[in-house]
Amino acid sequence: MVHALEQIHRLLRRAGTLIEIHPALEVPFVEVWSNGELSFREDDPGFDYEDDLRSAEQAVATVVGRGLFVLQERRRFELRTHASSVREFQDHWAVVEAYDPEEMEEALVRRQDEMFARSHEVLERSPGAELMYVEPATMSRLMPTG
Amino acid sequence: MTIRTDPEGNETDALFDLVEPEGREVLEIGCGDGRLTWRYADRAAHVTAIDPFEDAIERAKERLRATDLPIDFRHVAFEDFAAASDADVFDVGLLSWSLC
Repeated sequence: MVHALEQIHRLLRRAGTLIEIHPALEVPFVEVWSNGELSFREDDPGFDYEDDLRSAEQAVATVVGRGLFVLQERRRFELRTHASSVREFQDHWAVVEAYDPEEMEEALVRRQDEMFARSHEVLERSPGAELMYVEPATMSRLMPTG
Repeated sequence: MTIRTDPEGNETDALFDLVEPEGREVLEIGCGDGRLTWRYADRAAHVTAIDPFEDAIERAKERLRATDLPIDFRHVAFEDFAAASDADVFDVGLLSWSLC
């Protein structure tokens, strides 16, 4: 990660800007909304990449500490993915997750399936309801120096 | 209903709060199928959007054919792209969910 940031520093013009986006150190969660009302909310038990996030944070801190970049500003936001059913969301997520080389532990997969089954039950009881997968994220602006 | 990611525009609001891509040369690393790229490319002078996953880049290229956006989608790993690139060529680097 640090090497990638060093390479980006080389490619950027001195008056340039680096925007770095990664998931926040917070557990993503699932919501079900029906007629503007929240009817389900549970954390995603599949959150197993805390170490990766800490490594990303550490990499940014390292290049800032070395004086390659100045961290100018950081924002938190929520990336919300909307779906009409659990199946629709899981089909979409299967494509996204196909790029992740790490497989989730079996126990976490089971707990995640149970959570989605509960959200499915709520969706089934509420025609027109919508499922949302919410990923808290951070976006940082860094300025190259040197 | 089809899947909608960030219809609220939370990600783009944060992006435009932090950087103005107008008239700038942008490098997006980890663009995937261009989910975020489409949302800012019309403001940039030019976008080079790279990703190591060929099927994602192919989906992005397919969609790009129907537009006149200034995007060059490339199927390449960042390490290879960086090794073949000159220094000091981009105004904005965008690490799009790809540092971890």
